Amino acid sequence: MNLFPYGKAALSMFGLAVLSAGWISLHPAPQKKATLTYWTFSKDHYDAYQKLIPDFEAQHPGVHVDLEIVNNNALAARLQAAFLSDLDVPDMTELEIGTAGTMFRGPVKDIGFIDLKPRLEQSGLYDRYVQSRFSPYTSRGGIYGLPQDVHPVQLVYNKEIFAKYGIDPDKIQTWDDFIAAGKKVTIPGKQYMIELSDSTTGSGGLETIMLQRGGSYFDPAGKCIIDSDVMVKSMEFYVPLVAGPNKIGGTTGDFYGATWSKSVEDGYVASMICPDWRTLFVQRGPTKMAGKMGIMPLPAAVPGGIRTSTWGGTMLGITKRCKDPDIAWQFAQFLYTDKARLAKNFQQTNILPPLKEAWSNPAFSAPNPYYGGAPLGAIYAKYAPSVPAQYTAPTIDTAKAKLGEALIDCVKYYNDSGDKGFDDFVRAKLKEKADDVRAFQARNPY
Amino acid sequence: MSTTLTKPSRPTEPASPGSRPTRAKSSSWFTAQHKLAPYVFVSPFVIMFSIFGIYPIIKSIMLAFYATNGPKSQVYVGFSNFNFMFHHHDFQIAVRNTIIYTLCSVFLQLPCALGLAILLNQKWLKGHSFLRLAFYSPNLMGTVYVGILFQQLFSIHYGLVNRVLASIIPGFSTDFKWLGDPANVMPALVLTSLWLYVGYNMVYFLAGLQAVDKELYEAAEVDGANPWQRFWAVTAPSIKPIATFVLVTSTIGSFQFFDLPYIMLGNGGGPNNAGLTIVMYLYQQGFITGDLGYASAVGWTLAIGVLAISLLQMKLTGSMKGND
Repeated sequence: MNLFPYGKAALSMFGLAVLSAGWISLHPAPQKKATLTYWTFSKDHYDAYQKLIPDFEAQHPGVHVDLEIVNNNALAARLQAAFLSDLDVPDMTELEIGTAGTMFRGPVKDIGFIDLKPRLEQSGLYDRYVQSRFSPYTSRGGIYGLPQDVHPVQLVYNKEIFAKYGIDPDKIQTWDDFIAAGKKVTIPGKQYMIELSDSTTGSGGLETIMLQRGGSYFDPAGKCIIDSDVMVKSMEFYVPLVAGPNKIGGTTGDFYGATWSKSVEDGYVASMICPDWRTLFVQRGPTKMAGKMGIMPLPAAVPGGIRTSTWGGTMLGITKRCKDPDIAWQFAQFLYTDKARLAKNFQQTNILPPLKEAWSNPAFSAPNPYYGGAPLGAIYAKYAPSVPAQYTAPTIDTAKAKLGEALIDCVKYYNDSGDKGFDDFVRAKLKEKADDVRAFQARNPY
Repeated sequence: MSTTLTKPSRPTEPASPGSRPTRAKSSSWFTAQHKLAPYVFVSPFVIMFSIFGIYPIIKSIMLAFYATNGPKSQVYVGFSNFNFMFHHHDFQIAVRNTIIYTLCSVFLQLPCALGLAILLNQKWLKGHSFLRLAFYSPNLMGTVYVGILFQQLFSIHYGLVNRVLASIIPGFSTDFKWLGDPANVMPALVLTSLWLYVGYNMVYFLAGLQAVDKELYEAAEVDGANPWQRFWAVTAPSIKPIATFVLVTSTIGSFQFFDLPYIMLGNGGGPNNAGLTIVMYLYQQGFITGDLGYASAVGWTLAIGVLAISLLQMKLTGSMKGND
């Protein structure tokens, strides 16, 4: 003890420190043997890919794909931080459409993804895809993501409620027709014609409507255009749907989960905007409604106008730190371009792929019992080519938030004052919010 | 420990000639140990604190004068970050929301906590231990769980809060939007944090109340003081140090309010930013937009503001004078 004269406690701590340090150094973290590390945020995607990966590994001996599921918010934050700090990132990752734009901030050289445009053009994939789907993943001429989907939207409706009020969905062609029918169905506080939010722009609300009408947050050059004429008209159309004495839209605040399922089963909402991916949510959520739900095209803004819009999306990106971009590209094509596999994927996820030639597979015409035998794939495929483009910029989050603020202010104004001065108010409000976004964009010194 | 520390003085004692070199060697070893030991013991902390504390602090001061796109790309912008921040509408909303929340914490949460503590300090009350645990137990739950739980409780049409209120208040609509209407977001957050933190602060007050000298109450009673006078003349001065501590820590905690609104309202701060706090704003700018420089400017502004308010509180409560 003479050599350690500070007591047993200190000696014990010292001993424990030495022991733990020794144990850690003798048990280093196992090195990953994966050739490709792949992140996804979707459990449905994860489950589908798990079944496909063994085939790819069998076709490519020596290649091992490590598939990881990461929460969407965590994925975006971790990826952003890792890109910015030059830290380890997966070889390939999926990104939700809403966060993709934020990854394109700063100089082009700092974008963490490989530009896929040369590969897309060389392989001919660019022309075989629904081209509007590249727009959310395009920045300064480069394409940094391979779209996984098209996500056209339709309306899913409660057949019993529609029948009760004598509504024939085939006769509804325009939003005016739909609103007229909605006034019969809506009982404020108890039953609404359509699930629409008066406070958020996403979740199948204002954003979907504005895209249908040709609106967008940004133009192809990345300039904020939320105060354009189209956006003003979209806002003026949307607000009376969710505010004022004749509103026909309501929501419980969620677009999936237990509360939402109950609202569908109870008939609180008689219809909802439904992209292809959401049809699976509907099937799994309000299960009591099996066979009682129908599907119809989105009403057109004007007679003969497009009968769809879009909501959501996923891109697949190959990171610049990928050890073998060629193998990664092969895996991307394996997942996203093989027709048989895309059909299999559709059967598990209801998601229509953007590869047009894949839609001829019989799986896409198979009847879906939940929707009364409607051939979901064929229905969505019919409208997929009309899906509008949605352009992005690194300030996409700010633009979405600002449009949401404008919506709330416009709803309040409409509730208080109705139509009087509404046009001027909407224009001024959207201009104010667009200027906010532009101020942020102007701060970018790159 | 004290005996071992006196060992180096022993070589001055007479020793047998044969053992002298060994003792001298041992003596110098002990002397060296004594000189080095404090530094060795504190070095792990100092090293870690320097790396993860001091370096980031210094770096963040420098970053506040740069527009950044992560650590790789930085452009010097002088005071532009601060200039933009003070003129940015969202920052002003975040400051306003944070101040409102802090005032609610101080003027609603702390009196409730003190009231509960006084109640639990009453001899006539049965089940002290159970009630103490019951009031404190919300704090044992993770904030994330509490956020998710209250998000459900406050939901439109099916939420328990709306259902209960509709059953007891005639005309109250179950479509009342707690988290969807800007006017109701802050009350919802305040109610949630009241449920979560009131028991936590109550424990401090209870500890303070139990330490009050009973003889002071007896003397006051003999002098004819009523309960209200006893509270102001005996209880309040006795628990003043604890009350000051709770006040200052609650204020600091309120200015750092982040997790509950983030869980209940998401990244955006709720409708019209009605639940956006300064730390949420900082998070948005630093980790979603990726401008660490601007986020550093926000962070330093917050830190200086909190320091100033805490010092002011301590001065006003007389806590800076010491224990006199």
